Amino acid sequence: MDRFRFCGDLDCPDWVLAEMSTLARMSSVKMKLLCVQVIKDLLDEGIDYDKVSKLTSDAKFESGDIKASIAVLSFILSSAAKHDVDSDSLSSELQQLGLPKEHTTGLCKSYEDKHSALQEKLREISLRLGRLEAVNWRVDYTLSSSELKQVNEPTVQLKLQAQDPETDSTQTTVVSITADKFRVLLTELKQAQTMMNALQ
Amino acid sequence: MLFVLSEEHKHLGFLSEVDPAVVGESGRIAVEFLKKGSNPKIYEGALNVWSGSVQHGLEGLMYLLTESCKLTISEEDFQDSVLVLGFSEELTELLLQLYLENRKEIRQILSKPAPSLPHYHSLEWRLDVQLSSRPLRHQLKPTVTLKLHLEDGARRSAHVLQTDPATLQHLIDELERALAELKSSHCRRILHNIQ
Repeated sequence: MDRFRFCGDLDCPDWVLAEMSTLARMSSVKMKLLCVQVIKDLLDEGIDYDKVSKLTSDAKFESGDIKASIAVLSFILSSAAKHDVDSDSLSSELQQLGLPKEHTTGLCKSYEDKHSALQEKLREISLRLGRLEAVNWRVDYTLSSSELKQVNEPTVQLKLQAQDPETDSTQTTVVSITADKFRVLLTELKQAQTMMNALQ
Repeated sequence: MLFVLSEEHKHLGFLSEVDPAVVGESGRIAVEFLKKGSNPKIYEGALNVWSGSVQHGLEGLMYLLTESCKLTISEEDFQDSVLVLGFSEELTELLLQLYLENRKEIRQILSKPAPSLPHYHSLEWRLDVQLSSRPLRHQLKPTVTLKLHLEDGARRSAHVLQTDPATLQHLIDELERALAELKSSHCRRILHNIQ
């Protein structure tokens, strides 16, 4: 079996090959509209299952066929975006797998239109641990305490809301920082920021 | 192969005293209970029969189905086994249909072993390069971060792991060695004998 770029330079999975004939049972126009729905699903915009059943009713798809065609289109579109395959290469590879020319053209047009949006979405869902969700701060001035009558010191209170890496639930941490420590923190963070800017 | 019906099965007696429609309904409820666990509220609502005997009756029906599925008995054997209970032909036919229609699904439910180790659900990964840290600038340290999602029945857990490429390669080699064991003649002989 040939290696396919849209499969990451690996063999095409057997099930994908098998579903090419299922897709060919639809008209190319309806298949392109189905691609639009699948892309909406991949972008988390919500898939309209009513539209999907209307699109597949002419080809007399059973529920198994509908699920299979959505699965294979999802795979092709997301895998092609994952490996940054250009529209022309995708077109020639799909035709090699037996997808008729009109169907391939429709699919690749949808792919090209939404290529950047798909990659952006995949970038967004890439593994990240402990995402910082919100930062809140407050500056206080301590006048006096039980230990010392005249304290006269500013402090920063930082409230950090971040995702727990293993449970994905939001954890809140509050820290209070004296002026000196805060100056050190700020300097270090600015150095990190300079480095990040240099990389972008 | 016949299976012998015992004391427990006299509870199924209630089935011959009610309508075929009720028998059908009881059958459906018994299968639902097998799939999702029993729910006593259903006893009261669905069947207008006294609660105590309904519960035993349903449990009897569930036992009949699970034992038949466990042994995957043939149609004739099922009919012969049920004959002992002295049901009408119509009722026996209903029970047989119930058994045949749900056999595959019930066998699937029975095949899941009870307590088990958490098993693999999915794996997310990320390749990073550390360029700088607070104490040291100008580094080039690649790391692979993995988030292993495991499933144990209904519970999902995630484990975050980090490794350098050399260790990852070692991990891959060890796992491939484990897979290769399956192809060794020793393993193949055993698998052949089981299947």
